[in-house]
Formats: sequence, C-alpha cells, structure tokens
Amino acid sequence: MTSPRTFFLLLLALLVGCFGFAAGLLPRFAAYESRRHQSNDFFKLLLGDSTKMFANSFFVKADEYYHSGYYPTIFDNNSNFKTPHVAEDTGAVTSHNQGGEDTSFMGEPRDWLDAFGRHFIPNRHTHLDEGGAADDLSGSDNVREILPWLKLSARLDPDNVTTYTVTAFWLRNRMHKDKEAEQVLREGLRNNPQSCELLFELGRLYSESYHDAGRARNVWELGVRYWFQLPAEEQKEDRLILEQLTTNLGQLEETAGNLPQALNWLQAAQKSSLTPGTLQKRIDAVKAKMAEQSSQLVVPKSLY
Amino acid sequence: MRNIFAVAGIVIKELYRRKDFYVLFILTVLVCLIMASVNIFNDKHIVRYLKELCLLLIWVSSLVIAITTTARQIPAEREQRTLLPLLAKPLTRTQLIFGKFLGCWLACGLVLICFYIFFGALAASRDHAWPLLNYFQAAFLHWIALGVVVALALLGSLVFAAPSSNSTICFVIVATILTLGRYLDAVALAQPEPFRSLIYAVYYAVPHLEIPFEMRNLIVHDWPLIAWNFVALDALYLLAYAAAFLVAACLVFRRKPVN
Amino acid sequence: MQAGEVFGFLGPNGAGKTTTMNVLLGFVPPTSGAAYLFGIDVRQPIARQRIGYLPELTYYYKFLTAEELLRFYAKIFGLPRAETDKRIDQLLKLVELEHARKRPIKSYSKGMQQRVGLAQALINNPDLLILDEPTSGLDPLGRMKVREIIQRLKNEGKTVFFSSHELGEVETVCDRVAIIHQGDLKAVGRVQEITGQHASLEKAFLDIIGFQTSTTP
Repeated sequence: MTSPRTFFLLLLALLVGCFGFAAGLLPRFAAYESRRHQSNDFFKLLLGDSTKMFANSFFVKADEYYHSGYYPTIFDNNSNFKTPHVAEDTGAVTSHNQGGEDTSFMGEPRDWLDAFGRHFIPNRHTHLDEGGAADDLSGSDNVREILPWLKLSARLDPDNVTTYTVTAFWLRNRMHKDKEAEQVLREGLRNNPQSCELLFELGRLYSESYHDAGRARNVWELGVRYWFQLPAEEQKEDRLILEQLTTNLGQLEETAGNLPQALNWLQAAQKSSLTPGTLQKRIDAVKAKMAEQSSQLVVPKSLY
Repeated sequence: MRNIFAVAGIVIKELYRRKDFYVLFILTVLVCLIMASVNIFNDKHIVRYLKELCLLLIWVSSLVIAITTTARQIPAEREQRTLLPLLAKPLTRTQLIFGKFLGCWLACGLVLICFYIFFGALAASRDHAWPLLNYFQAAFLHWIALGVVVALALLGSLVFAAPSSNSTICFVIVATILTLGRYLDAVALAQPEPFRSLIYAVYYAVPHLEIPFEMRNLIVHDWPLIAWNFVALDALYLLAYAAAFLVAACLVFRRKPVN
Repeated sequence: MQAGEVFGFLGPNGAGKTTTMNVLLGFVPPTSGAAYLFGIDVRQPIARQRIGYLPELTYYYKFLTAEELLRFYAKIFGLPRAETDKRIDQLLKLVELEHARKRPIKSYSKGMQQRVGLAQALINNPDLLILDEPTSGLDPLGRMKVREIIQRLKNEGKTVFFSSHELGEVETVCDRVAIIHQGDLKAVGRVQEITGQHASLEKAFLDIIGFQTSTTP
C-alpha cells in the first residue's frame, strides 16, 4: 500500500514536471503566436480571408434589398446586374452593366411550374429610393433597408473603399443623415488612411451638407496630394478620382471668388480628364470672369 | 373521425409537454431581439433585415419541429410498446396513421401561430403596420407545406429503421427542394441526355415546397397580396402530395408487423 | 371459449401463446384459417370493441397522466363523457391509483404501471379480457390483488382469457385451461381433467409437453 507521504511526493513531482514542461514550451509558443495572423478582429479570426467573400455577398444583398428582392440568381441572366445598382446609382463606380432598363433577367417561363411559381416571388424591377414594391414615392426613404447589409459588408471587409462611399452616399443624399455619413467615411479613412475616394466623399459632405468650404478644401487638397503619392500604374488606372477632386476644388474656388486658383484647378482637371472638351468651356468661363474683373492676378505656380 | 382526433390530441399534448418547441421559440426570440438591438446609423425604422432573419428562423424551427416530432411517432410507439394496447382497441392502422398526421400537422399549425404572432409584433414595432392578410397568406401556405413535410416524415418513419436516419434524409430532401427546387429545370436544360430527362423527371415529381418558402421575400419587402386563386391552387397542389404520401404510408403500415 | 369462464392458456416459452393472442387481437394475420371474437372476424376493428387487453410488458405514454390515458382510450371506444368520468373514478379506485391520477406515468413504479395497464384494459367494461402474463413482475401482494380482480370479473359474468407461467395461480383461478407446445394445442379441459392422475398441474403440464424429469437418487 502506498503511504500518504509517497503519494504527496509523487504529486509534487508531477506538478514540478508539468510546470517545467510548460516553462520549456513557453518560448516556442510565443514564437508561434507572433507568426500567426495579427488580427484581433473576431470575424477575421473566425473566417480568415473568406471575410472578403462574405463581405461581397452582403454588398450584393444590399443590392437585392435595393430591388425589394427582385434579383437574379446564378441560374438567371445577370448581365445587367454585374455592378450592383445600389453602387451604380451613386455614380461612384464604373458600371459593367449592359445598360438600359432591365426587363426580366428571368426570361420567359420555362414551363407551367415556373410560370406558376413566379406569382409567389418579386417579379418587377423597382428601386427602393423610387418607392420600391409599393411604387409609393412617399416611402422613398425605405432605402434605409440596405444599410444593415452595407454596414456588415464594411465590417467584414474594411479595405473595400466602395462600401464606405456607397453607404455614405445613401445616408447623406436620401436619408439626410449627415453625421452618420461622416462617421462612416471617417471609419473608412481609419481603415484606408490614404484613400482618395473617401477623402473626395468627405469633402462633398463638408461642401454640400455642412457648407464648410474650408474643411472641404483641406480634405480635397489632401486627396490630391495622396493621389500624387500613388505608384505610376495606379495613377494610370485611376485618373477619374483626380479629375473629380480637382474639378470640385475648381468649383469651390470659383464660388469663393478665388478665380486664379479656380483656373489652376480646372486646368489640372483637364489634363487628367477623359472629356477635356467639357472642361474647356468652364475654363473659358472662368477666364472670361477674370478678364471682367480686370484685377491683378497672381498666377500661382503650375502644378506640373 | 373520432379516433383520428383522439390520436391527434395525444400528439399535440406530447408536443407542448416536450421542450423542443419552447427551446426553439426562445432561441428565435433571443436571436431576433439581439439583432433588433443593434444600432444601425441611429435609425429605428430599419426592419427588413429583421423580418428576413425572423422568417428564416421560423422556417428552420418549424421544419425541425415537424420532422423530429413526426419521425419519432411510430418508432416511439413501437419502442415503448404503446402500439400494442393502442391497436388492441377498435382503431384501424389507417386511422392511426391519419391521427398521427393530423396531430403533427395541427401541432405545427399551433407552433406557426405562436411564431407568426411574434413576427408580426416584431415587425409592427418598427413598421407600425399590420399587413395581416399578407401574413395570413404566408403562414397558411407555410402550414400547408409543413403538411407535406409531415406526411413525408411519417412515410419515412415506416420505411427507415431509425428516427435519426429518417430525420436526416427528410432534412436533406427538404433543404434541397427549398434551395434548388425552382432551378432544376434550368439545370436540366443544360445537361445532355439522358441526364436531362432524369432531372426533368425529378423536377416534376418533387413537391415544390420552395413556392411558400420564397414568399418570404414578398413579406419582407412589402409586396402586394398574391391573388387568392393562386394561393388556393398552390394549397391544393401541396395537399395532393401530402395525400399521396399518406396513402403510401397507410399501404406500408398495413404490411408491417406490429411487434 | 365459453362466456363467463376464466380460461388459462399455458405453454413453455416460445410455444405460441403470445402469437395466438396477437392473432386474436388482429396484430398478425393467421397463416391459415380464421379467428373470431363474438362471431366477428378478428381482422375487423369492431371485433375489439368488447374486449380489453393487458400486454405482458406494460408501457404507456409517459407524458400522460393515468386519468388522461384512460380518457384517451375511452374516447377510442366512443364512451360518452359522463360514463367516461364515472368509469375512470371506479377503475382508479379499483387499482388503487387515485392518489396518483394527476401524476405523469413516467413517475410510476412498475407495479403502478401494471395497475394502470389493468385499468385501461377495463375502461370499456369489456365482455372478454385478454391478459398476457398479468402477474409477471408483481410482488405477492400485487399478485393477490390481480387474482382478486380476476375473480371479481368472473363473478360479474365476464370472460377472462390469460396466459401465465404461474401454474399455482392458474390452478386457483381458472375454470378451464389449454396447454400449447410448439404451436400445437396439446390439451384443453377443466383443471381437474388436465391434472388427471398426476400429483399436480405442474407435473401434468411437464408430462403433456413431453419433458422428462430426472430421477433423483
């Protein structure tokens, strides 16, 4: 029979052994943990890189809600829904849709069952900001219903700038929630500090909603500076945002009466514009105003 | 009919004395209330995502209750030997099958009433609207669809040895119909023969339970009412399937040894 | 069987006693021939309107109370509500389960479940009671109570048909017995006739089924 003393000595030996083993393993574990993904975000930890896939799904879900459930599946012809309308209608993204009003992505009923089943699903193309299924314009602020999905999409993929810009657009333009739109854009900027698109939207918020020209100018000028810090390949692909920033700066300066500065910005915009002819008219108009004023112009250094 | 209602009454008693329904109901309520408490840009009128989540949970819970309750009816009677004293009464096997079906189906109906009342209250708390007729259409066809599921599970309980295998198979079949049922013809068209004919045969043979399932979109997005004649037609269509499964169950049960 | 008698059905394990009862109750179809209860073919559900059955292993719906169980079976028999209430009170008093009538059956002991079984077998005031090993698993007091109930039913003019391994019990209670072995009816008649020259019914039973007793030195 084992005596109590032997039992306690064995227990003590076991405890010492376990502590020693743990102490020996601790440096290895610390090294292993530092090699792991650094994120302390719950979703990133749970889902890994598939968060982007979910984020995209929820963005499309927002579009589905924008259409009150009338939406193609993978079995339907989705050529007119490749770019979600909820983003396309903001003007913030380049559309890849066929264009024109979609008649029916489902096509003609394939058989009597399909024809019968269509009475039980959404079967008209509507947009929430135009009343949705009820076709009642008084309900046009029902576009709020897309917000949960946009919020979730942004949460899962904070690197996707489009989600923030689209959300801010609908908050500001349709729901007149300027403070919330600003919060969204600032959150986007926290996750994407040098995003020109987000700075542009933030500037529009300050300019159009808060009527704060000073802050708008600061933010847009920052956006222009960040654009010039982009690598050459990215600059080539993304000239539209520079045009938007410089055009709006030009507009702002013109409204403020700083015509020489406005001229500089519009000329800079023309250099990156795909439709320089349109901007030329505005440049001519500013020049005409300057000539009218016939005041001493201090021509700032050209940006180029 | 008296015997059928007597057996049905016992099934309903069993349902409200077991914990399944209460667990699922409380779970649904909790999840919905938690989701409702999320602040989305300080807007207290956003409701559609809640409605969609709630309806999805209602469908899942009702299918769980329908299948698990029905799948264990006859096997439990056999296992617990309550079948012998029951069939020793002036009760036919057909009456027993119909009684079990009616009990499970009515129990599902009671479950749905509770769930849809909660859904209506949740939606009205934000919508401030009560489209009762729309809810009635959705709930009615949902209940009819559950009748088909109950009949299928009842037939399965006589064919498969264990309630667990019956439940699993029923869940798989129902889930496949709900997600892919509408598109089987499109899949068939893309296949070469003989797969095309095979898939078409399956497409026409299966009960299209996805019709009531996809009505959720109409409720979530405030679409107008469906024409009542279409609702009636769909109900008749699904009831025909339920009747066919029940007849098959009666025929199978007649030949089964009781002990 | 004759009306008003207590008929014992004896046989070793696997002789076919339960199978015979299953045929009478319509659970299994006969492989040949036909069986009748009160002149009605046993395959007709109406044949079971006037019988009560107590199975060997008594299990009932665990989530029901004794009162609910009896009410359920009474409904199947089509008893009116007033009569159902009266019968339930009488039967629960008879089987001494009044104190437990509102408790679910899952909380009952084996003896109590057996007594509930007896009560449900009597709910429709049957003319024929079929009991499959009614005293199996009961203590001596329980066995005595069952014997008393059988005797009372006999005095009321009911017919009782039961199978049992307790030959002493059969000797005490039964008017006639039948002995079955390997599906064949070996003997049927009054207890005294069956016992005959043998010292007891047990010895007669063993002799009839062809069991050779070993002689002890």
